[in-house]
Order: sequence, then C-alpha cells, then structure tokens
Amino acid sequence: MNLENLVAILPLAALIVWAVLVLLVDLWIPKSRKFITALITAAGLALSLGLTLAQNGQSRSAFGGMVAVDGFAVLLNVIFLASGLAAVALAYDYLKRMGIERGEYYALLLFSISGMMLMAYASDLIIVFLALELLSIPLYVLAGFARPRSESEESSLKYFLLGAFASGFVLYGVAMIFGATARTDLAGIVAAMGSGTGNPLLFIIGAGLLLVGFGFKVAAVPFHMWTPDVYQGAPTPVTGFMSVAVKAAGFTALLRVFTALFRGDVYADLWPLLWGMAALTMIAGNVLAISQKNIKRLLAYSSIAHAGYLLMAFVPYGTRLQGDAVASTLFYLIAYGLTSFGAWAVVVALEKNEGMGLEIEDFAGAGRRYPWLGLAMIVFMLSFTGIPLTLGFWGKLYLFRTAVEGGYIGLALVGLLTSIVSAYYYLRVLVVMYMKPGEPVAQGGPWVNILAVATAAAVVLLALFPGPILDLVSKAIMLQ
Amino acid sequence: MIPLPWLLVFAAALFCIGLFGVLARKNLVAILMGVELMLNAVNVNLIAFWRYFSAAGEDSTRAWTFVAVVLVAAAAEAAVGLALIISVYRRRKTVVADELNLMKG
Amino acid sequence: MTALQIIFLFVAAVTLASAVMVVSARRMMHAALWLVLSLAGVAVIFALLDAGFFTVVQVLVYIGAIAILIIFAIMLTRKAMEDVGPQLNRGWWLAALAAVGVFAGLAVVLVSWPGVNASAGAGPDANLIVTFGKDLVDPHKFVMPFEVASVMLLAALIGAIYVSVEHKGGQK
Repeated sequence: MNLENLVAILPLAALIVWAVLVLLVDLWIPKSRKFITALITAAGLALSLGLTLAQNGQSRSAFGGMVAVDGFAVLLNVIFLASGLAAVALAYDYLKRMGIERGEYYALLLFSISGMMLMAYASDLIIVFLALELLSIPLYVLAGFARPRSESEESSLKYFLLGAFASGFVLYGVAMIFGATARTDLAGIVAAMGSGTGNPLLFIIGAGLLLVGFGFKVAAVPFHMWTPDVYQGAPTPVTGFMSVAVKAAGFTALLRVFTALFRGDVYADLWPLLWGMAALTMIAGNVLAISQKNIKRLLAYSSIAHAGYLLMAFVPYGTRLQGDAVASTLFYLIAYGLTSFGAWAVVVALEKNEGMGLEIEDFAGAGRRYPWLGLAMIVFMLSFTGIPLTLGFWGKLYLFRTAVEGGYIGLALVGLLTSIVSAYYYLRVLVVMYMKPGEPVAQGGPWVNILAVATAAAVVLLALFPGPILDLVSKAIMLQ
Repeated sequence: MIPLPWLLVFAAALFCIGLFGVLARKNLVAILMGVELMLNAVNVNLIAFWRYFSAAGEDSTRAWTFVAVVLVAAAAEAAVGLALIISVYRRRKTVVADELNLMKG
Repeated sequence: MTALQIIFLFVAAVTLASAVMVVSARRMMHAALWLVLSLAGVAVIFALLDAGFFTVVQVLVYIGAIAILIIFAIMLTRKAMEDVGPQLNRGWWLAALAAVGVFAGLAVVLVSWPGVNASAGAGPDANLIVTFGKDLVDPHKFVMPFEVASVMLLAALIGAIYVSVEHKGGQK
C-alpha cells in the first residue's frame, strides 16, 4: 500500500533525491569543470521525464487524496521538466561567462521544479500552498544568483517581498475555505458545499483571496508591478525559466483549484472579476510594452500580456465549455512556452558581460550577421504576435474560439485589438535587427544556439501539424 | 466560550495591520515583520475554525497539520528573507525599500 | 460575559495595540520588541482555544526563533537603522486606506454572517496530540505535507547559505 503511494509520485521523488545528489556531487567537482554538474542535472531531469511519461494514461489519487496522478498532471510535468532542461541549456555557458558558475544553481533549479511538479499533482489545498512555497523559495535565491551585481540582488529582494505578501493572501483564502467547509481536500470541499453544510459567504471570500494570491504569481494586472524589475535584474536564464515555468505553475494552481471548487453560484460571482483581470492584463501588458527600450523589460511586459491571453482562455471555465477552457489554456501555454524560451535564448546569445547589450538598439545588425539567430527571432516575434504559420497563431485562434463560444465576445475583441497593438513592438525588434547597422557579438555557446533553432523549428513544424498537441491537451483531463 | 465572530474579526484586524505594515513601511525588516503579522492572523483563523468546526470530529488533525505547515513556511521565508536583506545591506549600506531603484522603465 | 470572554477581549486589545506599534514604531528595535508582545498575545489566544500545543510552538518558533532572527538582523544592520526620519513612505495614507478598506469589508461580512452563533463543539480529545503525531506519518493522512515541508526547509537552508556566503573573486 505504501509502495503504491510512492510509485504514484515517483517522478517527483526521484527529482528531489536527484537534487540532493547534485548538491553533494557538486562538492567534488572542481571549479573549472562545473559543466559536469549541468550534465548530471540534465540527466536527472531526463530520468524524471521518462518516469513521468511512464505514468501516461493513469488516473488515480494517492496519499489519502493529497495528490492526484492524471493526464493533466502528466502533461504539465512534461512542460515543467522540459522548461528545466531549457533552463540548464541557457545557463550552461552563460554562468561561466558571467563568472557566477556555481553548483547551487542546478540544485535550486531542481528544487523549484519539484515544487512545480507537486503543484501539478496537488489535490489538496495544503499541498497547493506547500508547492507554491517550494517553487518560490529557491527562485527568490535564483533571481539574485548574479550576486555581486546589485540589480540581481534587488530583483531577488523585490521578488521575495512580493512573493511573501502573495502567499499571505493565498493562506488567508485557504483558511476561509477551511472555515467554510472544515476540509482542505478538493473532493471533500466539493462534497461539503454540495451537501449544503458549507458556508457560501466564507467560501466566496476565500475564492477572492485565492484569486489575488495566484494573480501575483501569474503576474496579472493589477498585481504585476514586480514583474519588469524582477525580470530585468535576474540572470537571463532564470528570467526565461520564470517567464515560462512559474507562469505555467500559477496557471496550474488556478486550473486545479478553480475548476474543481468554484463552479455554479460562485462562478457567477467570480467571472466578472476574472473578465476584468484578463482584459486589464492584456491592455496594460501590451500598451506598457510599447515604450520599452530594454529587451528584458520588453519581454517582461510581453509576458504580462500573454498572461492576459491565458486568463482569457481560462475565463469560460465555469460554463459548459470547461474542457475547452482547460485545453485551450494548456495549448497556449505550450505555444507561449516554446516561443518564449526561444526568444530568451536569442537574448542570452547576444547579451554581453556585466548585464550590458540588453537594449533593443544593441541588437542592431544581428539579423544579418547571424542569419540563424535572426531567422529564429523572426519566428518567435511572429509567433508572439499570432501570425499564421506559427504555433502562436493556433494558440490564439483556439483561445479566441473558446472565449467567443463561451459568450465572452467582448473579451475576444479586446484580445484581438491588443494583439494588433503588440505587432508594433514585436516587429520593431525585427526592424532594429535587420534594418539598422551594428556589430553585435553572439557568444551564447552551442547549447543556446541549438535551443533557439530547435524551438523555432518546433514553433513552425507544430504549426503545420497541430494535431498531436491538440490531441494531447484535450486528453489532459483532471481527476475529480 | 468566545463567540466565533470576535475571533474572526480579531484575525482580520491583525491581518490588515500587517497589510498596512507591508505597504507603508520603508524599512525592509519592518516589511518582513508585517508579513509575519499576516501569517499569524491566518493561524488564528485556522485555530478558531478548528475549535468550532472540527475539534471533536474524526478529521480533527487536518487544521493542526495546516497550522504546522504555515509555521514551517514562515520560518523558511524569514530565513531566506533576512539573508537577502543582510546581503543587500552589506553591499549597499541601506535597508530602505525606496532606495532600491536601479531599474526603471 | 464570562471570565473567558473578558480575558479574550483584554488579550486581543493588547495584541492589536502592539501590532499597531510594530507597524508604526520609529525605532526598529522597538518595533521588534512590540512584535514579540504581539506574538505572545496570539499564543495566549491559542491557549484560550484549547490548542495548548500551538501555544508552545508559537513561543518556541515565532518568539524563540523568528523574532530573535529579526532582532539579529536589526542589530547587524544597525547603522542604517539609526535613521530617525519618517519610517513610512509617502504613500502611507493610501496603504492605510487599503488596509482599513479590506478590514471594513471583511468585518461587515463576517459579522453579518448568519452562522455567527455557531457554538463550539465539544472540546478536543485529550489524546489529540498523540493522534496528530501518528497522522503526520500516516501515508493515508498527512505524511505528504510533512515530508514536503522538510524538503522546503532544506531548499530554504541551501538558499539562505548561498546568499550569506561571501564568494571570493566575485566582487566588483
């Protein structure tokens, strides 16, 4: 019986054990050979990925209803582990170049990913909170990993303060839901509310507080203020990891908790809030991105805007379209994740030491000098905008359709208009890269180039054949 | 017995005082103290709900587990947070939130 | 009004008053000492609610560890703390407005709640602490949060050590 429980979370358990192992082995690896640590980390991620894929098709709960192993968890864990591999690839040469090559990066990265995996498995609010903390605490340190640099430390401190503040809200929300139902497991809460023993008033307060807490994590407006500073100050590989994996983890929490708990009457009270948040996030993210001169800040605002699109896909979750809402959110997450990692790889490749070379103007001439990177960047910018023949197009098409079918035509309209606005600043990057003269130096190293080209190829190829991903996301069903 | 609303209002007040501390204080350590007050308010809520709704039930240890988890999380956050604050102080000789403004958009 | 209620009101008033001092005291050391008093007040309230175990834990962990850690941090950053200028930022009245607003909203809702008169059930089982210990390592109950909490502490430990160690050669 106990073994069965352990087998259910084997990918997670293996990753945690591996993190400790990396930490220990790193002690014996000389300073000049830290790439060995990176390779060991990648092996651990691959191992966990294999174990995760072996769980495909399962649907069961373990540890007395604390965790659920289902299609949803498997798909998201694949996303998290792939993000981890991408973060290792981005950091492989970057850390050495910046003189911050230390083994702790990899151990902390693995701990953070295990928190995210736990979030995907979570079917109890205690676990949701713990997963949130486990994924955030290593990230506070990772954001400050380029430590002698003051920007990095400042970014780390800002991220910590906002994160601690947000977890206060999440906790207060969970406490209210516990007060309403005397339960914390999702199934128990649903049962208590369904049988009428629960208290609807406390329940709705709890829902609102959870929305605020998770809003901070996914960087939705008006809880987005921290994002640009944190993204700019953190080491670029960490920023890339945050912009994809942390956002995915935040949406995992939203999907897990909200689709299970807040249906029916509560949804009727909640959807205007979600609607407003999605619309504001799309508008503010895109409009503020226009005036940015620093590429990291530009991509930070762009990531806020994309959080808005993801929220738009999520809004109809309480209608009969629940399956579509979950599927289109996941589809867009995959499209956004691939595109975003690719764009960050280009940024890492062109970044100079000491955090220089990050103004958009510094990219002038890069398109001609490095045709492959330039081509990849074209693909990413078009995919971010949602131009056909890229995965971003399918993602947007799918989520607009979900929004319209769910009756949220106004929201889809806002999404469409802001997408047009976004074309301006995405294309400006390309204009600078191709039309202006300049002599940038790409020194990202082989892994970063491979990542950029591979994600670009994936964005195009999967757009030509979107069938498999559509199939995948529609099968990612939650155990309820 | 103490009426439940008294406890809940007390916890809400404690939470909001902490909230004010986080939003209004300049000093980073003081902001952290505000966060600690907020987490304490949550624990008061949890223990109150436990006492009124599930103290004698078969699931009586659930709230306790949660309170213990909150305590552990608070300790972990305080450790990392204070380490970060002291590290910033060593280099910049400041612990004032407003002076952390190297980046502007 | 029973004796218990009078004690509660008194303790609650002291706790809230010292919490207000925590967020408004000019000198950080004073704020930290007020924090200790506030945390102790919460511990007493746990005791009033028959949660003796958490009274002890509150004193040990919050007062004994976290508050002491905060006091250490204040002493280590002393030079910066001697700043006697205003300790609130310029937007403090906005923060006050937000806090009062949230509190008013919560209080109105909580007091108008029809389930207000819920009376406490029977007191906790005398063996609850034993049950609690067993449940924390029971695979069908709470072993998962228990183990994950330990992993989280490990991650925090590694992070804190990484942050506090001065690295050679990395200085600007």
